[in-house]
Amino acid sequence: MDEEPERAKRWEGGYERTWEVLKEDESGSLKATVEDILFQAKRKRVFEGHGQVRLGMMRHLFVIIDSSRSMEDQDLKPNRLTSTLKLMEFFVEEYFDQNPISQIGIITTKNKRAEKLTDLAGNPKKHLAALKKVVDSTCVGEPSLYNSLNCVALPSGTEIKEILVIFSSLTTCDPANIYELIKTLNALKIRVSVIGLSAEVRVCTILTRETGGSYNVILDESHFKELLMLHVKPPPASSSSECSLIRMGFPQHVIASMSDQDAKPSFSMSHLDSTGEPGLTLGGYYCPQCRAKYTELPVECKVCGLTLVSAPHLARSFHHLFPLEAFQETPLEEYEGERFCEACQGELKDKSVFTCLACKKVFCVECDLFIHDTLHCCPGCMQTDRTS
Amino acid sequence: MKLNIDGLLVCFPYDYIYPEQYSYMLELKRTLDAKGHGVLEMPSGTGKTISLLSLIVAYQKAYPLEVTKLIYCSRTVPEIEKVVEELKKLMDYYTKQTEAKNDFLALALSSRKNLCIHPEVSSLRFGKEVDGKCHSLTASYIRAQHHCNPSQPVCQFYEEFDAVGRQVLIPPGIYNLNDLKDFGRRKGWCPYFLARSSILHANIVVYSYNYLLDPKIADLVSKELAKKSVVVFDEAHNIDNVCIDSMSVNITRRTLDRCQTNVETLQNTISRIKETDAAKLQEEYRRLVEGLTEANVARETDMYLSNPVLPDEILQEAVPGSIRTAEHFVGFMKRFLEYLKARLRIHHVVQESTPQFLKDIYEKVCIDRKPLRFCAERLRSLLRTLEIADIADFSAITLISHFATLVSTYNKGFTIIIEPFEDRTPTIANPVLHFSCMDPSIAIKPVFGRFQSVIITSGTLSPLDIYPRILDFRPVTVASFTMTLARTCLCPLIVGRGNDQVAMTSKFETREDFAVIRNYGNLLLEMSAIVPDGIVAFFTSYIYMENIVASWYEQGILENIQRNKLIFIETQDAAETSMALMLNKNKISANGVRNIILIKCKRLFISFSFQPPVHHYGRAVIVFGVPYVYTQSRILKARLEYLRDQFQIRENDFLTFDAMRHAAQCVGRAIRGKTDYGLMIFADKRYARADKRGKLPRWIQEHLTDGSLNLTIDETVQLGKHFLRQMAQPFRQEDQLGLSLLTLEQLQSEDMLQKIAQIAQA
Repeated sequence: MDEEPERAKRWEGGYERTWEVLKEDESGSLKATVEDILFQAKRKRVFEGHGQVRLGMMRHLFVIIDSSRSMEDQDLKPNRLTSTLKLMEFFVEEYFDQNPISQIGIITTKNKRAEKLTDLAGNPKKHLAALKKVVDSTCVGEPSLYNSLNCVALPSGTEIKEILVIFSSLTTCDPANIYELIKTLNALKIRVSVIGLSAEVRVCTILTRETGGSYNVILDESHFKELLMLHVKPPPASSSSECSLIRMGFPQHVIASMSDQDAKPSFSMSHLDSTGEPGLTLGGYYCPQCRAKYTELPVECKVCGLTLVSAPHLARSFHHLFPLEAFQETPLEEYEGERFCEACQGELKDKSVFTCLACKKVFCVECDLFIHDTLHCCPGCMQTDRTS
Repeated sequence: MKLNIDGLLVCFPYDYIYPEQYSYMLELKRTLDAKGHGVLEMPSGTGKTISLLSLIVAYQKAYPLEVTKLIYCSRTVPEIEKVVEELKKLMDYYTKQTEAKNDFLALALSSRKNLCIHPEVSSLRFGKEVDGKCHSLTASYIRAQHHCNPSQPVCQFYEEFDAVGRQVLIPPGIYNLNDLKDFGRRKGWCPYFLARSSILHANIVVYSYNYLLDPKIADLVSKELAKKSVVVFDEAHNIDNVCIDSMSVNITRRTLDRCQTNVETLQNTISRIKETDAAKLQEEYRRLVEGLTEANVARETDMYLSNPVLPDEILQEAVPGSIRTAEHFVGFMKRFLEYLKARLRIHHVVQESTPQFLKDIYEKVCIDRKPLRFCAERLRSLLRTLEIADIADFSAITLISHFATLVSTYNKGFTIIIEPFEDRTPTIANPVLHFSCMDPSIAIKPVFGRFQSVIITSGTLSPLDIYPRILDFRPVTVASFTMTLARTCLCPLIVGRGNDQVAMTSKFETREDFAVIRNYGNLLLEMSAIVPDGIVAFFTSYIYMENIVASWYEQGILENIQRNKLIFIETQDAAETSMALMLNKNKISANGVRNIILIKCKRLFISFSFQPPVHHYGRAVIVFGVPYVYTQSRILKARLEYLRDQFQIRENDFLTFDAMRHAAQCVGRAIRGKTDYGLMIFADKRYARADKRGKLPRWIQEHLTDGSLNLTIDETVQLGKHFLRQMAQPFRQEDQLGLSLLTLEQLQSEDMLQKIAQIAQA
């Protein structure tokens, strides 16, 4: 258990052969395990992010969730569908956290049909509510990749257009030749990525290869989460796409003070189509162009079409543009110095250690990943900054 | 890259090399140095062909006097084309490296059907028709007639070739079948005859097994090939069966009827010629008296590949008087025919040895052994003299004459079995005379005897020691190579029980058992739900397959499987199956994911032409049952007996060997290269036994852990799921580098060389 704490509990992991993980490799390095390769890939990801690349910040993403018969399989607990939806909720939150000016839409497919759950929108609440509703639905029939890809209606423009398919079945029921559709998607510059829940399927390989997306198959639940989180980060913009200026409004939050006698509660524009909660509020965000009122940001103004964001939102996606530089990797044997990690203070046990190029502090693998993926700034450098 | 193999500079046309390829070349070099024969086993998809070609070509370039020619034998036309393709790559690399003009001549040779460019002839559908038609246009006397009577049609391509092409050497280069055709069209020469005459001075010849092993064809084509050649038999795992087939003769009543017509035609022709041109027959008679001295001289001076149908004894003697004149010979054939007819009129099975048969024939119709022996040679001479155009019509009588010669020449190694009916239809009389060869070494002996080095290689040759024994030769190198892998991309599993713990086996006693059939069905059903894309399922025989599929249908299992995958069931007709696959190909690719299960039968080798064309067609291969041969067959029984008496190979050993090599062939389809991956499922409890497991090739065996023996279905599903997920992880070339893929620098490092030394295992 100690080697892999991030994994699910043993008894949840299905039919595993724990003794095989520990197997001594008698012929030297001939049988490198898949996990080793995966680890290398993980490291590589960190590096890849660090070129001077332009990132597509205005993302339009459609997520297609397979909810066919095969989603009832219980190899993810309690079953694939529930597990997927739970992770999706997490994904949606994280997505808007990291990409505050992007939008998402959700499609499900089952019984040879595709159903649009939510349209493209920038508000996480609506998506979360829709996802919660799906949990109770039954999984029947076959999915249809063709229909669901056809269902995607992405606005034309220069934004980054993506589709993420979470695909559990090994088959798809298509009314027409899917390879034609793939060509169309490619022409529209829509990037399709697939996360497979069972095994590598040929048509998905072709789909992702042709459209420039990524194709991954999960190993277990934690790996699934990892793969989903990969899609949180904005992808590099293709060089052909033009830079464009976008008009944005930064509305201020106005709270009418209780002392002000003129203050009257009013409806927000976003309540026009939702009938749920009572909508009368005192304060809110007012569109700088047309004075329409909204209670939440980010949103696209229903009246004048202006994108309304708040400054902190934009600032949050700032780190994507100036990422922390990669740490230098050195084998443990060559490293001379105190053998503990600057961040977690633990002993350095792994094959290699990581040195920050700016402050020369040393970190372990886990901390290296944590710093680059989550913190986005080097704790060592922060310390020296303060002291100097 | 340029390699140093034991002091020999080898140009290898790729930037990377697998360690086992290097090791393979080392062993091959040793074999060539020793001028001996070799048996080499290397897994499919590890680049056998290119390793063979690059080493032997390098050897030829370095020691042009030691090895003059490479004769590369493969099984099918597509395989031949593939070899030539690799060769082209190699030669391109050579030209790039040395910048000298290529002086190598390499060509592929195939039948007239694949090479003919005559507009009428090439449009015929069957090989036999093409051969016959071609012969009727190019035979010498036809052409002679054409001289006096220009209306007689001849093939202008052959005429052109004969007039000009024979003297001119074909320019050096690499020619596949289409290149030859193009060249022929450009020059107006017949590509088939051009290729046949060119193989004598070509450096590399690529053709099919039969050109060397079948005595009838070898005599025409390969007779004059140089002694200092290296012969390679690729995909040679069933070379013994090819040898046996080339020497065996099956005679049915239809053959005899056709033969009867042949004899009548002969007789008419003879009487006609006698009236018009008696001198011709006289001339032939004179020649026959002189005997076959010419052939004898040639054999003594070791110019030709010897021919098992033309035994040494008859070369020293003149054709016996009793069959020297044409009429007498025809009479003789008639008598022989009548005797055979009488023998086929039986109601019980007869099995006898060749001496018994000869004694019987002597007693009944007073045919001596000696004239029988000359039969084949005499008929050939007669057909030549009578100037009969369409040889194809005379296949029946040629067959009978071959039978006569063989039966009187060999005391050992053959058996005669006369069956009044087929086993499957015991009520319908359909008498067959099987003249069955039991000793594969008879057909291949001239090849081993004549050529300096013969290399037998395939992906599955285990156990290695059995091939030298049944083919009767002494190899200098026997080696099996493993596949070095960066990830374990094959997953052999032995499924022994169903979920209800009932043993799964195709053993004769339990094969009709309801529980076994149901469990087999459940296995396929469960696998179809977890394996992406294609599954190939093999059965041990057509009958068994039909039974099982029928009862699956009744139990509704088939319907459930069809919810996951389309199903194709192979029929006995290979053409029909491939047609069905072709027609549905669009459907398959259009439906993309909803892929296929192929249900196939393994026993009949001929029908096994289907190779999964792309990786994803065989993500899992399931072998239902152990593919034992039909042990009740009399031919097999006789062969087993012979093996026991002559080679001290026990029946059971041979049967298991044969079954396991077929099973290994089946599952070998799962892996088509190092980046490919696949499940190999052996669905029979008996595979777990040491005697069966031990006969699998080493590269499969080493991945077969104790944990994957005798599994239940759900254990298999779990393991399979895990394996498929692992394999679906991104895998790039860099991951292989240094482990299973080497650059030149990595290859030269010390410890890598040590590791390579361990790969080959005798």
